[in-house]
Amino acid sequence: MNLLLLLPALLMIGLVFVWPMIRYGWLSFHANSVLTGLNPVPNGGANWIRLLDDQRFWQDALQTTRFAGVSVGLELLLALAIALLLDQRWRGRGVVRALALLPWALPTTMMALGWRWIFNTPYGPLERLNEFVGLGPLNLLSTPMWTWLVTVVADVWKTTPFIALLLLAGLQTIPKDLYSAFRLEGGRPIQALRCITLPLLMPYVLIALLFRGAQAFGVFDLIQVLTGGGPAGSTESVALYAYLNAMRFLDFGYSATAMLAGFLLLTSAMLILAMLLRLSGLMKPVQP
Amino acid sequence: MLHLNGLGKRFGEQWILRDLNMQVDEGECVALLGTSGCGKSTALRLIAGLDRQDEGSIELDGEPLDSIPAERRRIAMVFQSYALFPHLSVRENLNLGLKIRGVSPAQRQQRIETVLDTVRLREMADRRPQQLSGGQRQRVALARALLRDPRVYLLDEPMSNLDAQLRDDLRPELRQLILQGTQPVLYVTHDQQEAMALANRIAVLKDGRIEQIGTPEELYKTPASQFVASFIGRPQINLLPVDKQLTIGIRPEDVGFDPEGMPCRLISREWQGASQLLLLDSPRGALRMLCAGDLSLSEPLHVSWLTSAEHRFDAGSGHRLAE
Repeated sequence: MNLLLLLPALLMIGLVFVWPMIRYGWLSFHANSVLTGLNPVPNGGANWIRLLDDQRFWQDALQTTRFAGVSVGLELLLALAIALLLDQRWRGRGVVRALALLPWALPTTMMALGWRWIFNTPYGPLERLNEFVGLGPLNLLSTPMWTWLVTVVADVWKTTPFIALLLLAGLQTIPKDLYSAFRLEGGRPIQALRCITLPLLMPYVLIALLFRGAQAFGVFDLIQVLTGGGPAGSTESVALYAYLNAMRFLDFGYSATAMLAGFLLLTSAMLILAMLLRLSGLMKPVQP
Repeated sequence: MLHLNGLGKRFGEQWILRDLNMQVDEGECVALLGTSGCGKSTALRLIAGLDRQDEGSIELDGEPLDSIPAERRRIAMVFQSYALFPHLSVRENLNLGLKIRGVSPAQRQQRIETVLDTVRLREMADRRPQQLSGGQRQRVALARALLRDPRVYLLDEPMSNLDAQLRDDLRPELRQLILQGTQPVLYVTHDQQEAMALANRIAVLKDGRIEQIGTPEELYKTPASQFVASFIGRPQINLLPVDKQLTIGIRPEDVGFDPEGMPCRLISREWQGASQLLLLDSPRGALRMLCAGDLSLSEPLHVSWLTSAEHRFDAGSGHRLAE
């Protein structure tokens, strides 16, 4: 009976998640490209053997991990500061709260296009500014280091509000009495941040880390529109590589292999992270 | 000695506390009694320094507290919610404040062990607050207050989240731990019985102002207004309108049977063991009466009371009229 009630949800998950994964798995053991006339032909483990040896895939995996790590790290720090600010009482807080959410509400492709123009050489406003102050054009979107930084900035700008909102919700579950009690114990506000706010906020930080980590690792639209993976593949992500294999090289078998490998890498990274967190005791549920 | 001089606090245009004048001596416990929203908790927050008053001043042993921040006032407060830190064990909860105040580790440990024995929580020391019962949490909060070694204790509805049985059990403990010290104690409650049982003096608050302040006995015997009269004493006093100017109050325990008295009809009866509370329909209106529990009743009932037991109030203002 219980299982029966779960059936609609299970069917849904099966349809949109489990079935595609099985299909990916099946496809990754077949050659399916223009060479086979887009018909699946079993090829043993050839796709996987090719992947293990594929420099470009591993380079992309590294770049994606670095992008996700740095972006999410910066987002957490910024979001924490914003959430703390928005949790205080001050005039006009409601308006600022609404405004702070705007970047998140914007479609990624739109904002990526916006950033592309801002960073355009030589017409973008930022390069004009560089020229004006005498830094000269920095070729922001054609130097690997700068371009990578630009993708991080764009991602931080867009998703910090989401984390800030999550952390703000967390902050509001902390009873105000705790801060009063802490003050009467002799603690100053800055000490309250370390002794009360951060420990009690930790579960929310971890949830944000999990959500955003997985999302950032799967980054596609931002990179596709902003840099197209360039220059010289220096900002290419795993998802973009899988997309290129399928849509440009019409190699669906290998695209499925790359996608699945990315998925497996991410899940194992998350599992290891979760295990470490459990061991460290930070995950302990706290109910005020 | 704690001195409150004309303390007042407002939110916007609305005064929620006004003209609070009071003095609490060493070792004295004064209860602030009132319904919710009467400003009694606000008064505590002002004294603790958690909020800033809009008028008046606070003095402790002759020294003004107004410019001292909360963290340096050395005042302990027990909250209705207990305000224990949920991510810390009992021992860590007690340790945190001592550590912040720079007490040496050896001394910290010794004081914590002592206080754990005092509140009988040694076995629970490594548990977190959510693993404790309400009464145990309450005792942790008291222990934390004791460790503060404060100059004043402020207790904000400390027992309101406990069930009646536990409240009765904790009262002697509270008296022994805190009320026997030499510090002034301010005790906020909405429970008149609790105030009567624990406080040396009671201040009844209404709409942010003191309606009357005095010993429990004074409040019970000579209530300054109808409000105080109906707030203090259970079962509640009978208020009987006489005419446009005069209302008299007569306590249920002062009403007695009298063959010469008013004839009454019995509406309902609450048997309480040693006593019983009768609700009567008298010629002067509904009347509560308290009599011995083993009395058998036969209608019609005739009751009366001594004129000397009557409290006389101005029907308009509710103030007590001179004898």
